Amino acid sequence: MSIDSPQTARAATSSDQLLAFVQYLRGKKIPVSPADTLDAIEVAELVGYQNRSLLKNGLAAALAKSRHELSVFESAFDDYFQPIPERPLASVQSDIQPDGSPTDAPEQAPHTDPVAQGEDPLDGLRGNSLFDALESRDESALSVAIETAAAEAKVEEISLFTQRGQYVRKILDALGDEALRDAAIEFEQSEPAAFEAVQALREQLRERVRDRVERAYLIHASAATEDLLDESLSKLKLGNVDHSQMARLKRLMDRMARKLAARHGRRRRRYRRGKLHVGETVRRAIPTDGIPFNPRWRKIERKRPQIMAICDVSGSVAAYAKFLLMFLYALQDVLPRTRSFAFSAALGEVSDLFATLPVEEAIERVNFKYGGATDYGRALQDFSELALAEVNSATTVIVLGDARNNQADPRLDLLGEIKARARQLIWLNPESTRLWGTGDSEMLLVKRHCHLAKECNNLNQLERIIDKLLSDKR
Amino acid sequence: MSDTHYPALSDIDAIQQAFESAGYICTTRIATVVRLAAALEKPVLIEGPPGVGKTELAKTCAMVVDRPLVRLQCYEGLDESKALYEWKYGKQLLYTQLLKEQLGDVLDGAKGLTESMERLHQFGDVFYSEAFLESRPLLKAMEEDNGGVLLIDEIDKADFEFESLLLEVLSDFQVSIPELGTIQAHSKPLVFLTSNDTRDLSDALKRRCLHLHIPFPSVELEARIVASRVPDLAQSMTDQLVRFVHAIRSLDLKKAPAISETVDWAKSLVLLHANDLDGSLVQDTLNVLLKYEEDIQIAEGQLPKLMAAAAG
Repeated sequence: MSIDSPQTARAATSSDQLLAFVQYLRGKKIPVSPADTLDAIEVAELVGYQNRSLLKNGLAAALAKSRHELSVFESAFDDYFQPIPERPLASVQSDIQPDGSPTDAPEQAPHTDPVAQGEDPLDGLRGNSLFDALESRDESALSVAIETAAAEAKVEEISLFTQRGQYVRKILDALGDEALRDAAIEFEQSEPAAFEAVQALREQLRERVRDRVERAYLIHASAATEDLLDESLSKLKLGNVDHSQMARLKRLMDRMARKLAARHGRRRRRYRRGKLHVGETVRRAIPTDGIPFNPRWRKIERKRPQIMAICDVSGSVAAYAKFLLMFLYALQDVLPRTRSFAFSAALGEVSDLFATLPVEEAIERVNFKYGGATDYGRALQDFSELALAEVNSATTVIVLGDARNNQADPRLDLLGEIKARARQLIWLNPESTRLWGTGDSEMLLVKRHCHLAKECNNLNQLERIIDKLLSDKR
Repeated sequence: MSDTHYPALSDIDAIQQAFESAGYICTTRIATVVRLAAALEKPVLIEGPPGVGKTELAKTCAMVVDRPLVRLQCYEGLDESKALYEWKYGKQLLYTQLLKEQLGDVLDGAKGLTESMERLHQFGDVFYSEAFLESRPLLKAMEEDNGGVLLIDEIDKADFEFESLLLEVLSDFQVSIPELGTIQAHSKPLVFLTSNDTRDLSDALKRRCLHLHIPFPSVELEARIVASRVPDLAQSMTDQLVRFVHAIRSLDLKKAPAISETVDWAKSLVLLHANDLDGSLVQDTLNVLLKYEEDIQIAEGQLPKLMAAAAG
């Protein structure tokens, strides 16, 4: 240990800290690759650890790769590299001195001496290193003890939010809190003042350990927990999503939409080159003596799919309609001309509402305007009058509804007409396939008139369907 | 570390001063990133709204280190023949025509196809040598003897495929030409890429770069920039004008005025010999600052409020 010069030792601990910080950033969903980490270490060596803002700027350049990541990085840096509040020993001692002088270190030994108020019951605990460190507020001794205990309790293996209590307990045990607890129990009846004092110290200790576990959780586990929540949410029935989960769901949806947009936006460009344009190629070859140096290719005109979404917004299905519309509008980059229609009793176009209002508000308006007893026949009739003329071979029509028509005529003839004109007619039903055709459900009949009929009631299914739709393979 | 390459860029404070005397006022963050780019030999990806001086940063950098600036403007459909290199087809054809007779001499007396081919092989790939190679910006930047500054402007406008093409250049500073082999940079250039954020760049590209986001500057910084660019404008006017522009940026506009527009506006006020920023003057010159009719109307509606903000 003495071989290391203080500098190299410092550098080593600093780069350890940097590594832990990188872990922390990953927990905050900033993807930091090993190569980035190496860059960060190099940057830190170049700018040094002395100047905080310099280090922050330097690390930001190496680790944060977009504006969004930059803002996350900045708050993470400030959280992580908090200037440690100095608690110098001197001021602490001045707090204690009025109580009586025996708190000074050299006077610990003569514990047989009676103090002014008679025998101090706490003397029995003196000599216990943990108690001493707590009582004299020896910061460095305490931190070392907690770090050792934390390592012993393997706190870096924490993986779930709910495990925190368990790890606090383990670390406290490893620290030797048991002796203090026993003493406290002993004092509880006989010495109320000593009991209070011990309990106060224990509470301090517990607080510090809790902080330590919290930090470990943030660094090592918060990402895993977040993933777990995301995963379970994307499998949850959308009708059961409650308000508290909406923000997370929205985020998840945006992420999926971004992914889909990136994937399909790219593909559309890639396959643009078509067959050889013979005439133009020959013409271009004239100056080069007929040698076709510069061939000309035809371009494949790819029509962007246009989507018309017809959504049932009656009570039972409204929640699902909301999510479908939210998802479609999150995809505006790849699906720029989406038109949406809502119906319950009557049907109307609601595209403008979505273009001008925030999604949540638009949904409210839609529910208000078109709510009522469901009538698919009338809705299809209205749609045909409103927009059938504009349905063409580039149009995909998506209908979202449970196809429960209260025994009225579902007007399958109109559905057939839409199918004949459209590129694709997709019917999404939030009910499970087993319930199709039971009671007043017309789903089995409806299914025959669609290119695709799918059960769709959670985010995963929705993503898969939209993915298929974008890849545009019938 | 190649501090020796660009000695002007070895100290952050010195960078700030050098840039300032070249007419570019930069924050410590910008100076830090430039310093790191020189030391780590990594490209810098600059993002930010249009007109905050992204391109200017690269130009100034070239001026400060006193090396040539090679600029590649990106656009949709940009490909390797425009960015890396191209064979000079015309020259190749012309030379084959001219050398036809020599070719006859070379092949004179050769029996059969195999022998002719063998003789031709002896001459190697004369037509695919550096003499017939047309360097485009990326290759040109590699060929600069003392290094240089390579500016790849508006990379987000280029196709996705082009980004992949850049990867070799950006991480290894080399260009592979199948006919010639790999050409290594004589001396690694400083590379700046700019992006207006019109689309997400690929992770692979981002990973190879240091990242710098330049936002709109603070009032003080912008006042310094305007003062250094338009020294003829009175200090009090400069302050008023910058505060006015900042107030305008907080409005909901189609396109917020950038630094370059602030500077233009300051210049036009100097031309008009204006001594004070009053309402009618602003109204008459607002079109320098705002480029859309709707924006001008919005700003005119808020004029009293904006003037109050400008008065401070």
